[in-house]
Amino acid sequence: MKNKVLSVALLVLFSLPLFSLSINIRSYDHQGYTRVVLEGDTSFEYKMDADSQALEVTLKKRASVENAIQMVQGSKLVDRVVHNWEEEKSVFRVHMKSRFKVKRSFVLEQPFRVVMDLVQNTAPVAVQSDIVKLKAVPQQNQPNNEAPKANLKSEPPAPQNTVAEKPQEDPQPQVTPETQEGEQDVPDEQDLPKKKMPMIQTICIDPGHGGTDLGAVGRSKLMEKEVTLNLGKKLKRLIESKLGLNVIMTRSTDEEVSLNSRVSKANNQKAQLFVSVHVNSSFRRSARGPETYYVSLKATDQEAFRLSQKENSSFEEIEKIAENDNLKMILWNMAQTEHIKESSKLADFIQYELNILMHTRNRGVKQAPFRVLMRAAMPAVLVELAFLSNTGEEKELKDDAFLARAALAIYTGISKYIYYYNNMYR
Amino acid sequence: MNKKIIYSLVGLALIFFLTSLFIFLKSGSKTNDKKSEPVEQQTDAPVEGPETISVKSFFFAEDSRLMLPVPEEIQLTGIKEQVYRQFVDLLIKGKKNFISPIPEEVTLRTLYLVETQKMLVIDFTEELIHKFPAGTDSELEFIYFFVNNICFNFKEIKQVKFLIGGNEYRTISGHIDIENAFLPDFRYLKLD
Repeated sequence: MKNKVLSVALLVLFSLPLFSLSINIRSYDHQGYTRVVLEGDTSFEYKMDADSQALEVTLKKRASVENAIQMVQGSKLVDRVVHNWEEEKSVFRVHMKSRFKVKRSFVLEQPFRVVMDLVQNTAPVAVQSDIVKLKAVPQQNQPNNEAPKANLKSEPPAPQNTVAEKPQEDPQPQVTPETQEGEQDVPDEQDLPKKKMPMIQTICIDPGHGGTDLGAVGRSKLMEKEVTLNLGKKLKRLIESKLGLNVIMTRSTDEEVSLNSRVSKANNQKAQLFVSVHVNSSFRRSARGPETYYVSLKATDQEAFRLSQKENSSFEEIEKIAENDNLKMILWNMAQTEHIKESSKLADFIQYELNILMHTRNRGVKQAPFRVLMRAAMPAVLVELAFLSNTGEEKELKDDAFLARAALAIYTGISKYIYYYNNMYR
Repeated sequence: MNKKIIYSLVGLALIFFLTSLFIFLKSGSKTNDKKSEPVEQQTDAPVEGPETISVKSFFFAEDSRLMLPVPEEIQLTGIKEQVYRQFVDLLIKGKKNFISPIPEEVTLRTLYLVETQKMLVIDFTEELIHKFPAGTDSELEFIYFFVNNICFNFKEIKQVKFLIGGNEYRTISGHIDIENAFLPDFRYLKLD
């Protein structure tokens, strides 16, 4: 008897490491909803989280799947399922082609399956909700028209190519409020407020990197995270003291803040401009000069960029025009889409001032798909002040007086944008 | 009594061996599927033989913002994904007198073509995260170095997606979003 027990125990012991959870994923469209099924060869515990772009299912076991990325062919809603694992957990991230919500989820046995039914969320994105809420804001909370203008009585010189430039289309995006309940709660267009944008009162400054994320490091060990924090604090002081505006910092100390948290902070606190400050680095040691970026869809599609410029179009209209599913997904994922034209203008103003400061020919305002800018629900830019990889510029970045001048240049660019904005939109 | 123990252990070892063999064979068949599209699509596809392709590579140089063409043309031979792999390895290896925007320690783990999306998925080792020098321009140089070179030479590839250590990452060093695939931007190339 003892031997039998011993044999069984040894068998279990030998066999245990061999059996990991194997997961099969499938998805298919039904009328009105899309079903995603995670089938395991054994049962498993799981946790489900969702944001507007993806559904995340975390398993408390390490699972094996056939492909790390599984493209879902022909689905109206689901684009791909990405599998990552860390230690003894497995995370399945179901990426959507458009905004969605979980209609229901349940578990079936034999074989063990987690079934999730998903539907398209046709309510517009959260970006526009502020404007509707303004109707309920008491008068004393309305922006003070005088303060910023008082500091900008004489019109500052406009950057190149922006002198007296008027938007060719009406710059006000068509707005509808966000609701959690779906399309029935979307009011008629007549209920929406007339086109009038609030004065800029709050600006978010985002000093790049921090904590264990050092950013670029120069030959003299100067770290990007130190420069950006120093520059960010100088910029905050200037904006508060000269413009009297409220400034939010995504970090005020040497701490690590995720890219999503940075933009969430700006969105949650209703910042109206987002300025991320960074220091650049290149594999080419001779690269030098300031650069100002705003977000781009170009990395994924030129056509998407053209569509994003159609500011009078609602997301639904844009989505109809967008020809392929990837494009739709990108447009829906980017809260920044509606602000690209304004972001470009803000970038122009800042870059113009930085060119004067650094005596550089215009390296040009550039576009790239910056993670931190994509979900900003406001005009947003990223400033790369100078190259840490360039010995000469690294020396300048160490100089506090240079950083003070750089902060003043960025501040001037921002204040010119505010002047432009107040004249165009108010 | 001792004999019984020996028989039990031998039996146990046999079971263990057979189970391992079964799992090994099962996982082996899965690994082969990893680089390919769904099986039902594959069965109809014609079997491809090796072919020889001439490629042209572009590299960064210290005195140019654009990627410059390397004078010599290179012949690569193999079936489709072997050729892609050889080309990416060639890019990683670099060229004398040119700049390679890749940390030395980084190597290619695997790559595969998602034919329906005309997308090449390139999976680098995790050294890419640990050894990358940071900086927006560095990230853009890295991304477009691969995307432009690949899409320029292989017309069947319209976009490139990056994985690191088999996983999807949000950024390489905190700037550019790499969750989505990239289309080429040939403005980076100095064309003849």
